[in-house]
Amino acid sequence: MLNEEILKGSGGGISCYIIEGRNVLDVIAKLFGFEAATLLRSLGKLMICEGVFKEVYIVSGELINVIKVIFKSGRIPYSAGLYLGRLRREKPKLIPSVNTIQIIYDKLGFRRALIVREEGIKPFLYGNDIIKKSIIKCIEPLELGDIVGIVGEDNYVYGVGLSVIGSCNELNSLKDNDMVARNIFDVGWYLRGGTEVRERMFKL
Amino acid sequence: MVKYEIVRSRDLGEYLRTKILSLMNQRIREIALRYGYRSYMIVRYLDMLGSMDEVLKLLESFERPLKPVIRCNKLKVHDCRYLVNRLSKLGYTLERLEWEPTAYRVLREGSPSLGATHEFLLGFYYLYRGSASLLPPIILNPSPKDLVLDLAAAPGGKTTHMAQIMGNEGVIVAVDISRIRIRALRSNLERLGVRNTVILRMDGTKINDVFKNYFTKSLLDAPCSAEGLIQIDKTRKVKTELRDLLKFRELQLSLLNAAINATTSGGYILYTTCSIAPEENELVIAEILSTRDDVRVVPIPKIINFNDAILEYLGMELPQDLKYCVRTYPHIQGMEGFFLCLMRRY
Repeated sequence: MLNEEILKGSGGGISCYIIEGRNVLDVIAKLFGFEAATLLRSLGKLMICEGVFKEVYIVSGELINVIKVIFKSGRIPYSAGLYLGRLRREKPKLIPSVNTIQIIYDKLGFRRALIVREEGIKPFLYGNDIIKKSIIKCIEPLELGDIVGIVGEDNYVYGVGLSVIGSCNELNSLKDNDMVARNIFDVGWYLRGGTEVRERMFKL
Repeated sequence: MVKYEIVRSRDLGEYLRTKILSLMNQRIREIALRYGYRSYMIVRYLDMLGSMDEVLKLLESFERPLKPVIRCNKLKVHDCRYLVNRLSKLGYTLERLEWEPTAYRVLREGSPSLGATHEFLLGFYYLYRGSASLLPPIILNPSPKDLVLDLAAAPGGKTTHMAQIMGNEGVIVAVDISRIRIRALRSNLERLGVRNTVILRMDGTKINDVFKNYFTKSLLDAPCSAEGLIQIDKTRKVKTELRDLLKFRELQLSLLNAAINATTSGGYILYTTCSIAPEENELVIAEILSTRDDVRVVPIPKIINFNDAILEYLGMELPQDLKYCVRTYPHIQGMEGFFLCLMRRY
């Protein structure tokens, strides 16, 4: 990884560096398929900022030129470009942002997703988990303890869940009120002020 | 009438205090009491607007609530009719603004509230308290080729609007100092799907430690007394004293000088405030014109019927170049009180 490092800066206990990010793209490929990794790679390079959390952004060539100037002044950006998500050492290795998942679904179709009826989306937006009876459709691949996109009836991504099942087939053995996905992030966070630290429990 | 250059070389604050005191009378005190304002504000309004009738119209308009406005976010919504249709199903009645095809005045509110709909959370729209905040990005009109500085950017209404105008291409550097407000800025950028922006948390007056002669367009929507937003916050009738306005002016001057220095030769700088106080507007630009020879005021595109900026204030003759700056008033344009001044660096 050090070989591909091209730029770095630090400030306030956080260090940032810009890389091609093949390791991160491998994680994306594992979650959403090789073509998803190719799609995201086409948007730019990756800026990784590491402090308590390890956050990944996709930055265009133009943004990189500006970030170079910022690094040179001894500062780092607060954020830049498209927030791709949060990296972790353990599973889930990546918590992708809602925008990242939406871009993948828009271009490549649904995968690793739960399509949830409105009655399930409303409580989800208040931080609740997804239960079996809310699910209209389950789309593979699902993996126990890994992320899943939570999608509304309108085909928009409303958040990210942590699957408690290993495949869609397991839904058949669950009762109506059994949890299928734990709420990791939902867009209701923007209503709750957008100022609290999110995904608090998912540190490095 | 005394020239601004003469007043500034002495003591502007003392001049204003003395002048306001000399113009104070019983009728002004009565009107201030009736509407709940500090009386010095009414003296200034009378000087700015020219007649007590106009002052009363302004004060009455500050009593009426503003209708909120939403901007359909073209970065996420391909056809704004889709958004209008979804909101109408929630009971909302929207009216498109004549001068901004992606913006809608909310005539009737539905449920849930505008800040809590799924459409809001999905980033389909940005919510404004009034329509004047839409003007700066339209006037600056950045293109995908521009390098844009947005100084004092949080919470991001103008940043996200500029990103929309730029089609999420080019670069915006959005700067703010506040730890809390910058989280809101990031949250809004993310919610609206903005991808062409770098957020930098730092004191905007020190931006030249990072960038000099760099940006092709710079926006400074300066921190201000918000004396144009009394409809929304009635405490502003009494909150600000003249000395507070002059403190704001010092900060505004520091920020504007920094914004100009950060802008490349030939680049544009747009200075705006949501205040009708000349101390935070014309007197800021007048000081810039008196102290710098590398910047000129240029005409603003006539998007709406603006009011002219003030060229005479409390017996002071201000630089004639201020004629290109513009104002809005709630009782005339039906929006927040706002000041806009476009400059070009040479």
